[in-house]
Amino acid sequence: MELRGKNTGWKVGAYIIMLAFTILTLGPLLWLLYSSFKPHNEIIRHIFALPRTMYTENYFEAWRRANLGILMINSIIYSTVGTALTTLLALAAGYGFAKFKYRISGFFYVFFIMGLLITVHSVLVPLFIMETKLRIADTRLGVILPYVAFGLPFAVYLATSYIRGIPDSLEEAAVIDGASYLQIFRQIIIPVATPVAATILIFSFLSNWNELIFVLTLTSGETLRSLPVGVLAFAAGRSRNYGLQFAVLVVATLPMILFYIFFHNQLARGFAAGALKE
Amino acid sequence: MKKATVIVAVLILLSAAVAFASGQGGESGRTEVITLSLYEYSDLADETDVKNTKILFDTFYAKFPDVRLEIEYGFDEPYHDKLQAMLVADQLADVMFLWPGKRTGTVTRSGKIKDLRPWIKGHEDEFAPIAMAAQGPNGEIYELPEQVTATHVMFTNEKLMKDLGLSFPKTHGELMSQGDKIKGARLIPIAMTNKSQWQMQSCFLSALTERAGGMDWYKRVIVGDNAAFTDAEFVNALKVIDELSKREMFSPGINQLDYGQALTQFETEEAVYYIDGGWRANNLVSELTDDQKPYMVLNTYPDIPNQKGTSGSTAAVAGTGYGMHSKLTGEKAEAAWNWIWFYSGPEGSKLRQGFGANPAYKLPTPADADPMIKKLVKFVGETPAGFVIDAVMDAEGMGVLHPAIQEMMLGKKTPQQVAQEYEAWVAANDTSRK
Amino acid sequence: MTEKSLKRVSYTMLTGPAILIYAFIIIFPILYSLTLSFTKWSGLDLPQFVGLQQYRRIFSDPVFYHGLRNNLLVVAISVFGQIPLGFALAYIIYRRLVAGGRFFETMIFLPITISAVVVAILWAQIFSPAGIFTALIRVLKDEPRYVLGIFESRNYAIVPVLFVILWMYTGIYMVIYIANLQRISPSVIEAAIIDGATEGQILGRVILPSMVNVIFTTAVFAISGSLKSFDLIYAMTGGGPAHYTEVIAIYMYVNTFKYYNYGFGSAISVIIVAMSLGLISLIQVVFRRLERRYGT
Repeated sequence: MELRGKNTGWKVGAYIIMLAFTILTLGPLLWLLYSSFKPHNEIIRHIFALPRTMYTENYFEAWRRANLGILMINSIIYSTVGTALTTLLALAAGYGFAKFKYRISGFFYVFFIMGLLITVHSVLVPLFIMETKLRIADTRLGVILPYVAFGLPFAVYLATSYIRGIPDSLEEAAVIDGASYLQIFRQIIIPVATPVAATILIFSFLSNWNELIFVLTLTSGETLRSLPVGVLAFAAGRSRNYGLQFAVLVVATLPMILFYIFFHNQLARGFAAGALKE
Repeated sequence: MKKATVIVAVLILLSAAVAFASGQGGESGRTEVITLSLYEYSDLADETDVKNTKILFDTFYAKFPDVRLEIEYGFDEPYHDKLQAMLVADQLADVMFLWPGKRTGTVTRSGKIKDLRPWIKGHEDEFAPIAMAAQGPNGEIYELPEQVTATHVMFTNEKLMKDLGLSFPKTHGELMSQGDKIKGARLIPIAMTNKSQWQMQSCFLSALTERAGGMDWYKRVIVGDNAAFTDAEFVNALKVIDELSKREMFSPGINQLDYGQALTQFETEEAVYYIDGGWRANNLVSELTDDQKPYMVLNTYPDIPNQKGTSGSTAAVAGTGYGMHSKLTGEKAEAAWNWIWFYSGPEGSKLRQGFGANPAYKLPTPADADPMIKKLVKFVGETPAGFVIDAVMDAEGMGVLHPAIQEMMLGKKTPQQVAQEYEAWVAANDTSRK
Repeated sequence: MTEKSLKRVSYTMLTGPAILIYAFIIIFPILYSLTLSFTKWSGLDLPQFVGLQQYRRIFSDPVFYHGLRNNLLVVAISVFGQIPLGFALAYIIYRRLVAGGRFFETMIFLPITISAVVVAILWAQIFSPAGIFTALIRVLKDEPRYVLGIFESRNYAIVPVLFVILWMYTGIYMVIYIANLQRISPSVIEAAIIDGATEGQILGRVILPSMVNVIFTTAVFAISGSLKSFDLIYAMTGGGPAHYTEVIAIYMYVNTFKYYNYGFGSAISVIIVAMSLGLISLIQVVFRRLERRYGT
């Protein structure tokens, strides 16, 4: 469906915008990457230049001093468990809201949508107090529950609209065969909803991985902190050693970039498969 | 597809199990050992800090094998946030790192921190006088200070100064006139940062306030006894900063510079003078070369116009230290005191002196101490000092004062306006005025 | 079990967990916050009921209004910057106006995968007196003492922040729009081309009308996100200097966690939620009007 005899005007303009954006995006990141291989003094003195030698010291030191290993593991735990739970619960709730014709579903649905407006800070202090009294503060559970709770609004929204679009005939066929609701959920809804599940998974994973405030406030043990918190604590004031700071930033960034490069097909497909229709 | 689902489900369950099992704070089961929870202030990313802290704890354990410390670490703002959250949730640790004065004021004055005076009794003279100053409304001492901190030091690079044909200025006016020459040589007159806003108040304005008003006035303005921050004295102090700022005597972009960058500018000899706290001497110990140390000197700001206070004074405050939870009794309280005394008393102080600290506990300076440390000890010991504003006034007021100072430096407010704004807040809200 | 009760039980099992977790973590604390907003409490002792005093304090505080102004600017850059830009980029890729669409798509989306903290620290460094952007200008202008003056301007200090927000989030809108553009039936476009429509007409008559819903949804997300924005700005400037780049979420955070005014902080949260609801309703009204005019 190419437009025949396309205006070169449009084309040139398009290229300019694209290239500008790409340079703006890649530029700073590439600079960050190659600068992380320079010691601090070299960065200050020759801020634009490529590294003279690959000074990998920054990385070793960063890994050691910022405890990147533990931070990484915690980030993985929080993100995967939180994401898995969010996706599962959202699909279940989505099925309930979309297919069980109860009036109260409407109420619950709006209930969840309102959650999109809530800032984490509004619940932070009451939450901390509650968790402390229940003795789940400073535990992994204490972090994962809020992750799930805050991921649910968007996930439920996506799941419900998608599942609504699943033809009733599929379920009816299963009912005739004598399947229970839960069986329908497992064997029909989940497989058919894979695209939206993928979208929810990726979206949740991304936001959980980069989440900062909850881990910061709800945990204090060194062994429980996640990557963004560690990065903030270590890198934010570290303007006396840019090499070290940059190395930490790169390590904090790389996993998600790789994750995205591998999964971006899924993401696009998920969005396309009606996740965002009205 | 089925198999994959099963694997995924198992993985999720496994991780969930791991999450549940491993997240708890850890319990110990030995009953003959006294266990105390300790909330420790330490920068785990600072090699030196980590090393020194370990030595202190190891020595302590060797001396008191029957005490076990369960340590939680925090640093900078998050430390204070967490401390406050602990207070609110009634989950304070048994032993905590505290500030004298208002910095951890809500915690110390909550009634949940023990008054240490009964334990200190008899040992008061072993400490520098400032360290024994009252921390509570009735003279309570909540934490045993580890050192006396001078927050205003004007570090001077005498070599650069001489190379430019200058000598240390005796007055503010003289310093101002040095500006053009220094900038002409592509150097920075006074290296300083102020992005986090407290530096200008703590490391400069506090000392200037003493210079401008003298100690008697200073004491009165805090409680509002016939003195207010709108008085000419305080305005005069602010004016000094205003003039320096207008004359571009500070590091370029000072309000955008992260704390620490001025230190770098000084160490790389890009600046002739450098204003920061006395604690920076510790950095200079490890970061200056031996060749540099002889000509790096500690001074204070020159005399200012209309100076009513003491020439050459700085601002000082009793240092931080450990305190204990008021609920501790018997053995636990003893154990907690053992740590507190170990750290700030003779033994810990000797160790810390080796690290470059200047303990509040009176100890002779070792002959082989680093030259920078010797200079610091002499400085702290001999320099008269006024109060540090954020130690005697409410923290919330700093939220008014600091931005106002920045705006003055950006040319948006006059010193009078800053003084008025601050006084207005203090008169209405500050607990020292009540 | 009867048919009906079986259905009820299944419904409860399916929706129950989600609702419970959500209520526990979000709803109860929010209600608690709401009640707190009518009190004065520093975390110790008991809260003291003060009626609307906190709200009065907020509405008479110039710092609040400046923060509000900044928030509205963030909303503006999101709705009038990220969305049109995201759409333009999506359109370019979708209509294959450039080669290598996939590559560009990946590149533009990249910033979102990075934590806001990292983005903030990176750009703070770039713009700082010791940063690469400043160094560039110093070289170009031959002014070794140059620093980015814009950060010191009360009205414009927020501009660099807005730029970074644009840089970071435009990609996500682009991806959403691409996905939805791809759902437009190609035959409609073919027909338009055959009828001799220009690029502009295709855009205006065929594509835009079918995208109205998506644009509305993304506008809603943009607004709610903007009013909540905290991480990026806090890590980049801390709201400084002198409150110049402060937004309401930072105002709330500082007052709650630095100065322990829980009642005050809660009142601010309530205001944020109320404003979000207000703005979104407004948008809804606008879009209903547009829908009626252009039909779907």
